[in-house]
Amino acid sequence: MDGKVKEQKRHQAKHSGPKAQKKLKKQGGSTEEDECKRNPKAFAVQSAVRMAKTFHRAQDIKTKKHHIPLVDRTPLEPPPVVIVVVGPPKVGKSTLIRCLIKNFTRQKMGDICGPVTIVSGKKRRLTFMECNNDINTMIDLAKVADLVLMLIDASFGFEMETFEFLNICQVHGFPRIMGVLTHLDSFKNNKTLRKTKKNLKHRFWTEVYQGAKLFYLSGMVYGEYQTQEVKNLGRFISVMKFRPLVWQTSHPYVLVDRMEDLTDPERVRTDPKCDRTVSLYGYLRGTHLKNKGQVHVPGVGDFQVSDVNFLPDPCPLPDAQKKRALNEKERLLYAPMAGVGGVVYDKDAVYIDLPANHVNQQQEEVRPTTELVQSLIDTHATLDAKMAASKVSLFSGSVTLDPTDIEQQSGEKEGPHEKQVWDPNTQRERRAVVFTEEEEEEDAVTGSSDEEDDNSEDSEQEKEADEEDDNLSTFLKDARARSERTEKTAPPVKRQRVEEEMLVFADSEDDLEMSEEESEEKGQSGRAGDSGHCSEEDEEETEDEEEEDDDQESDDESVEEEGAALMEQTASESEEEGEKGTLKWKEGLQQKASEAFLRHQEAAPNLRKLVYGSVVEADDSEEDKEELGGLFRVSRPQKSKKFKANAVDCSRFIPDTSHNWDLEEMLNSIRDCFVTGKWEESQDAATLLKEDEELYGDFEDLETGEVHKGQTGLQDQAENSEKDDDNDDEAEESLVKVDDEEVQKNKRLDKKRRLKERFDAEYDDGDATYFDDLKEEMQKQAELNRAEFEDVDDETRVQYEGFRPGMYVRLEISSIPCEFVINFDPHYPVILGGLGSSEGNIGYLQMRLKKHRWYERILKTRDPLILSLGWRRFQTIPLYHIEDHNGRHRLLKYTPQHMHCGASIWGPITPQGTGFLAVQSVAGTKANFRIAATGVVLDLDKSVTVVKKLKLIGYPYKIFKNTCFIKGMFNTVLEVAKFEGASVRTVSGVRGQIKKALSTPPGAYRATFEDRLLMSDIVFLRSWYPVSVPQLYNPVTSLLLPVGQKDNWAGMRTMGQLKHDLGIRNKPNADSLYKPIVRGQRHFNPLHIPKELQKSLPFKSKPKQQQSKGKTPRDLQRPSVIREPHERKVAALLHALSTVHNYKRKKAHMVQHAKHKEFLQQKGKQEEAKLKRQKEARKKLYRVMGQMDRKKLRSSLKGAPQED
Amino acid sequence: MASQGLVYDGCNFFRQRLVLSTLSGKRVKIKNIRSKDDDPGLRDFEASFIRLLDKVTNGSRIEINQTGTVLFYQPGLLYGGSVEHDCNQQRSIGYYLEALLMLAPFMKTSLKATLRGVTNDPVDPTVDLLKSTALPVMKKFGIGGDGFELKVVKRGMAPGGGGEVVFTCPVCRTMRPVQLTDPGKIKRIRGVAYSVRVSPQMANRIVESARGVLNQFLPDIYIHTDHMKGANSGKSPGFGLTLVAETLNGFFLSAEMSSTPQGQGNPVLPEDLGRNCAKLLLEEIHRGGCVDSSNQSLALLLMTLGQQDVSKVLLGPLSPYTIEFLRHIRDFFQIMFKIEVQKPFEDERKGGDKVLMTCVGVGYSNINKTLK
Repeated sequence: MDGKVKEQKRHQAKHSGPKAQKKLKKQGGSTEEDECKRNPKAFAVQSAVRMAKTFHRAQDIKTKKHHIPLVDRTPLEPPPVVIVVVGPPKVGKSTLIRCLIKNFTRQKMGDICGPVTIVSGKKRRLTFMECNNDINTMIDLAKVADLVLMLIDASFGFEMETFEFLNICQVHGFPRIMGVLTHLDSFKNNKTLRKTKKNLKHRFWTEVYQGAKLFYLSGMVYGEYQTQEVKNLGRFISVMKFRPLVWQTSHPYVLVDRMEDLTDPERVRTDPKCDRTVSLYGYLRGTHLKNKGQVHVPGVGDFQVSDVNFLPDPCPLPDAQKKRALNEKERLLYAPMAGVGGVVYDKDAVYIDLPANHVNQQQEEVRPTTELVQSLIDTHATLDAKMAASKVSLFSGSVTLDPTDIEQQSGEKEGPHEKQVWDPNTQRERRAVVFTEEEEEEDAVTGSSDEEDDNSEDSEQEKEADEEDDNLSTFLKDARARSERTEKTAPPVKRQRVEEEMLVFADSEDDLEMSEEESEEKGQSGRAGDSGHCSEEDEEETEDEEEEDDDQESDDESVEEEGAALMEQTASESEEEGEKGTLKWKEGLQQKASEAFLRHQEAAPNLRKLVYGSVVEADDSEEDKEELGGLFRVSRPQKSKKFKANAVDCSRFIPDTSHNWDLEEMLNSIRDCFVTGKWEESQDAATLLKEDEELYGDFEDLETGEVHKGQTGLQDQAENSEKDDDNDDEAEESLVKVDDEEVQKNKRLDKKRRLKERFDAEYDDGDATYFDDLKEEMQKQAELNRAEFEDVDDETRVQYEGFRPGMYVRLEISSIPCEFVINFDPHYPVILGGLGSSEGNIGYLQMRLKKHRWYERILKTRDPLILSLGWRRFQTIPLYHIEDHNGRHRLLKYTPQHMHCGASIWGPITPQGTGFLAVQSVAGTKANFRIAATGVVLDLDKSVTVVKKLKLIGYPYKIFKNTCFIKGMFNTVLEVAKFEGASVRTVSGVRGQIKKALSTPPGAYRATFEDRLLMSDIVFLRSWYPVSVPQLYNPVTSLLLPVGQKDNWAGMRTMGQLKHDLGIRNKPNADSLYKPIVRGQRHFNPLHIPKELQKSLPFKSKPKQQQSKGKTPRDLQRPSVIREPHERKVAALLHALSTVHNYKRKKAHMVQHAKHKEFLQQKGKQEEAKLKRQKEARKKLYRVMGQMDRKKLRSSLKGAPQED
Repeated sequence: MASQGLVYDGCNFFRQRLVLSTLSGKRVKIKNIRSKDDDPGLRDFEASFIRLLDKVTNGSRIEINQTGTVLFYQPGLLYGGSVEHDCNQQRSIGYYLEALLMLAPFMKTSLKATLRGVTNDPVDPTVDLLKSTALPVMKKFGIGGDGFELKVVKRGMAPGGGGEVVFTCPVCRTMRPVQLTDPGKIKRIRGVAYSVRVSPQMANRIVESARGVLNQFLPDIYIHTDHMKGANSGKSPGFGLTLVAETLNGFFLSAEMSSTPQGQGNPVLPEDLGRNCAKLLLEEIHRGGCVDSSNQSLALLLMTLGQQDVSKVLLGPLSPYTIEFLRHIRDFFQIMFKIEVQKPFEDERKGGDKVLMTCVGVGYSNINKTLK
C-alpha cells in the first residue's frame, strides 16, 4: 500500500499540440543540420594511430561475435522444450510448475510426477521437469535441459545446490538459464529488498553471463504465485531462443515420460528377479535415432534397444490456423506419470487408467471365467495354427501352392494385430480388410489367444498373481506354462512376430506395390508372397514371357558374373520353377543372361529390395526355414549361398559380356559422354550464345538515335497478325492478348532476373567473405536436408534417416534389471541417451583435469572417483599425471592445487572434447561443495603411457681413478646388460655412465665418472617405470535403488574412508617420526705439520712447542706498595701541579701553533708574490727574445745571409 | 558392455567386415570360413591382411580357431603412424590398399604405410588404378591436403612380386557431405602403360592399340609409358595398361588390364591387351556415374561416415561387391541408402542406367585423433 501512495504520476510527453510543435521545431533546427557539417573539426581525423586502433577494435569485436556456422538441423516440428526447474528444497519449484501449467492450460495439477508436457502456443510445446536435490538427478537433467529455471530463495540467498548445478551445466554444455527469485515477500524493509535483489543479481550475472535474466516472483496469493507474474514468466519462456549444444545435437535422447512393463507375467511370477522387458516412451530429441541402436540409461546402464516405433503425438501442436490464441481444446496437457490423461495409446494397445475401485470390481467379476476359457482356447488355438503353418512351410518350395494357405498363414500372423489396435490412427486400413475376411474363415479364437499372449496378458496376469488360492486356475496356468516350455515358440517369440508384422507396415513402399499387384492379378498373389526374395515386378514379367523366363531363371545360375548378389534371388526362383526348365536352357545363353541382367538393372524400385531385401520377408523366410510349428526343422541345402559365402573377395566389377564394343551402335550409345558429343539444350554453345543475344541484343545507339532490335521482331509480327484478325470473337481475342501479355511480362521478368544475377555475380562477389560463403553453404545443406525426404512417408523415411527428433517414440528394451521396474519412482528422470557408433566400448581415456577451486581437498591418485561423462555416471580409478617438457607423462600422487593436470582412466569411449565433472560421492549432501573436479577428454586409447620415477641405488666397492665398480643396484648380469650406457649420478652430483657388467658379485658393474668417487658416495640411476591404470568401470546405478534411497548410492570407498570406517590406523615409519634434536660434542684432531715444513717456516708461523710459563712462584712475585698519608698528600700535590703544568704547556703549544700557522701563511703569500714577479720578468724577457728571433728570421728571409 | 557382435558366414567380403567392424567398434565373428573346402580355413593372404590390420590398430583382439575356420575380431583403436608390411603374394597390394584407404583418414596419427608385394595383377584393382581414381574420390570428401599421396616406388608383377608402394594419408576429423550428381562430360583420357622385365617396346605397342579404339571419341588422349628397370622392376616380367577418363567436373572413370602372370594361363599380346583395356574403359563409361565401379564402396562408406547431412552420389550400376557392402553398412551403422534409378532419356546417348544413392550420414567423428 505504501508504495502505491508514494507513486506519483509520471511525466507524459506531448505528442501533439502547440507544445509538441514547438519542441519539434526546436529539435528540428538542431538535428536537421548534420553535426558533421556544422562542426567539421570535431569529426576530423585527429590521430591516425588512434583511428587505426579504433578500427582494429571494432573489427575485433565484430569478429569475436562470429560463431562457426553449423548446419541447422532442427526439425520442422521440434520436440517440446525441456524446462528443468531446479533449486534447493522448499524454494517453490512444484508451485512454480503448477502455476505455469495452470497459466498455459487452465488445468490444475496435484503432484508433479515425471515430465509434464503442455502445448504453450501455436509453435511451441513445453516439457516441465522438476529436479530434486539429489546430485544424480541434477547431473542427468543438466544434460537434457534446454532451459533451466533456477529458483533461488531470496530471503536466504544462494545455496550450494545452485552453484553446483551451474557448474554441472558449464561442464555439459550450457543450456539457457533463467534465475527466479522467490520468497521476496518475506522482506519487510523495501531498502533491504532492493539491496538483496541487486546483490543476488550481480552474483548471478558473474556466474551465468552479464545481463542474464533474473525473474522476481514477489509473493504468494492463496498458495500460488501472482497470476500476472506467472503470465510474464510464461511469455518469456515461450519466446525464448536456444542455442544448439554440441553434445545434445550429436546424440539422440529421450526424456522418458511413460514406462510400461511388458514382461511375461508368468515369468515374473516364477522368477520375480528375472530381467524385464519394458517399453519406454517419450519425445525424441537431439538427432536422428537409429533402430536397434545402443542407448545408455543414466542410473541403470547400457542397453541394446530391441525395437523402436513412432507413435502418434499425444500432445500435438495445433494445426496451422490463422488465429491468434489457442482454444481450450488445443491447450493439451500430457503427463502420464502424474496420472493425467486417462487414456494412453501404445502401438498395439490402449491403456485406460481407471480409478482404483473401478478396477477392483471388474477384476473380481470377470476373472475366473475368462481365465478358464483363455487357457482352454490357448492350447487349442496354437495347435491349430501350428498345424496350418506347418503345412504351408513344408510346401512353400513347391509350385502347387494353395493361395488360401498363404492367406491363412499370413492371417494367422496378423491375428493379434488387428485385434488389439483400437485406435484407427495406429492401424493401416488395407491390412485390416484382409484380416476381417481371415477372421471369418478361421475361428475367431486364434486371434484372441494371441492377443492374450501378447499384451492384455500383462494386466490380467498381474491380477492373477493375487489369486493364487484359486486351484483350478493355477493348475491350468501351470499346464499351459509347461506346454509352452515344451514348444519352442515361447511367448517372446510371438511377440517378435508381432513386431515383424509391424515392419511389414513400415515397409510401406513395398506394400503399395503389392496392393497394386494384387488388384491387377489376384491369382498371382500367392506366388508373390511365396518367393522370399523375389520382387513383385519380377513376377509380373514372368507372367508376360513365361516360358522364356523360366529358362532364364534357371540359366541365371550359370551366369554368375552377372552379380553374385543376384544369386539368392535367382536360386530361389529356379528352385521354384525348376521342373519346367528342361534342356532349353542352352539356347542363346548369353543373350538371355544379359537380358536378365538388364531386367534386374531396370527394375527401378526393386533395386532397393535387391540390396536390402524386404526386411520382413527375409525374416519370414528365415523362420520358415528354421522351424515348422515348433517341432521340425527344415534343412534346405543352400548351395548358392554357401558358394557365395566362400567366393573370392574382390571388389572388381566384371563387365557385362553382352556389350560388344566393336559394334557401331554400342559405341554410339556413349557418344554423348564425351565433350565431343552432343550437349544438352541448356548447356549447348549455340543456346548460350543465343541467350546472350537476347540479353544484349536490344540496344539503342545513342549517337545516331537508332534502335537495334533483338529477337522481339518475330513476336511483334505475330502480334500484328493477330491484330489483323480482329474480326474474331472479342472475348477470345482479349484472352489471347492477355496470354500474350503474360508471356511478354514473364519474359521481361526473366530477363530482369538474369540481369540481376549477372550484376550480383559481378559486384557481390568482392564483398562476400569466407564466413559468408561458409554460412551460405551450410544454409544450402540445411535446405537439402529438409527437402530430401520431405515427400517420403514417415514409415519409409524412418528407415532412411532414422527416427526424427520431435517424434513421439516407443523404445522397447529387453533385459533391463528388475529393480528398475520394482523401484520405479517417477520423480526421478529416466533418460535414454543414444550412443554413437563406438561409444559402447570401453578403453583408456586421457583427460585434462582441474580440481575445482571450491573443493576443499586435493584429489589422490588411485582414489575412486565418480565421473559424469557423456550420458554416463560411473565410478572409476583415475591416475593423475603431468606432462614433462619432453612429452613424458609423469605420475602425480595428488592433483595440483591450482593447475590443470592429466588424468587417465578406464572408462567408456567418449569423443574427444567432451567435458566431464567428478564428484567424490553421490550419496548425501555432507560435503561442502560436491563437485571435486572438472575437465575434458583429450585422447582415447587402448593403452596408457603414464610412468613414475624409480631411483635405483648402488654403492661403489672399488674405486680406481675415474672408474668404479658398483654393486647393489642390480641382481643379475642380464639386468645390467639392459642398462648398459645408462647415465648414473652420485648424490654429490658427479655424473657417470654404466659400462659393463662384472662377473663376480652378480649385478655389479663397471662405471666411469667425470671425477673420482669416494667410498662414501651413493650412486643412483634415475629410471621411469610404467604404471597401469586400474580397470574399474562401475556405473552408478542409482535408479535401481529402492524408492527413498535413490540418493544413497555408494560405490567403492577410498582407502582413507575404508580405514576410517574400519578404524585402522597405519603404524608410521619410525624414521619419519619427529624426535628432539641432540647435538654431539664436536672434536677436532690436532694439526700435524711435518718436521721439514716446520723447519722452513718463519718463526711466526712455527708451532710454538714451548710450554707456557705457568704461574710465577710466590717468592718471585713483587709485593704491592701502600703509601703513608704524608706521601699520599705529596703525591696528590705533585699530581695537581703536573696537571696545571700540562695544561699550561698545552696552551702554549696551541698558541705557538697558531702563530706558526700565521707565519706560514704570510710566507706563502710572499712566495706567491715572488713567483709572480719572476714570472712577469721571465715573460718580458721571452717577449724580447721572441721579437729578436722574429727580426732575425725576417732579415734572413729578406736579404742575404749575412751572419752565415 | 552391451555392444554385442555380428556373426557372418564364409570368407567372402572378408575385408569389408573387418574394416567396418574397426570403424564402427562392433566386434565381429566370421564362421565357416571355407569349412567345406579341402583346404579349410583362412588363406595366407587373409592372415596377412589381419596382420596388417593389427599393425595399424592398437588393442585389437583377434582369435582364430585351430583350423582357421572361425575368426573373432574385436577392434581396437586405429593408431596409424609408420607401418611397413610385406603383403602376401597371393593377392596384390590393391587388396590390402583398398581396405587401408577406408581406414587411413580415421587414424590417431597420420599414416605412412609401406607395402611390399605384388603391385599389379589381373585380379585386384592395381595400385595405379587406386592412385588415379580412389584418391580423387577421397579428396571430394575433404580428405587430403599435404601428404596425401600414393607412390609406386617399385613395380612387381604377379607371381613374383617385389614391388613397393608408399601410401601416406593425413588424419581427418569429420567427413564433408557431398552432392556428386552431375558427372559432366569426359574431357580427356590419360593412362599409364607399364612394362617390367620385358622389352620396353611392349608399352608402346599397348599405347598404339588403345589409342586406336579411343580416338574415335576424343582427340585428347595421352598415355604415358612407364618402363621400370633394375631394382625397381620386381621379380616377374609383365606389362599392363591403366586408362583414366577425366570429366569436366573432375571425376575419374578408369579401366585397367594386366598381362596374365608368368606361367599361369595363356600369354596375351600387348595389342590385344591395349584394345581390350580401351573397351573396358568404354564399358566403364557406359556404366558412368561420378565414381567408377571399383570405388563405389569407398564413396558409399565415406558418405555414411559423414556428418548428419544428406549426401548424394550418382553411380553406375551397383556391383555385387557394393551391394554386399550396402548390406554390411546397414548391419554396422544402421544406415540405409535411398536408391533411385535414373534412366537415360530417349535421345541421350550416355550409356546405361545410373543409380542415385542418397543417405544421411551417421555423424561419425574420428575418435582416435588426439586433442591438444
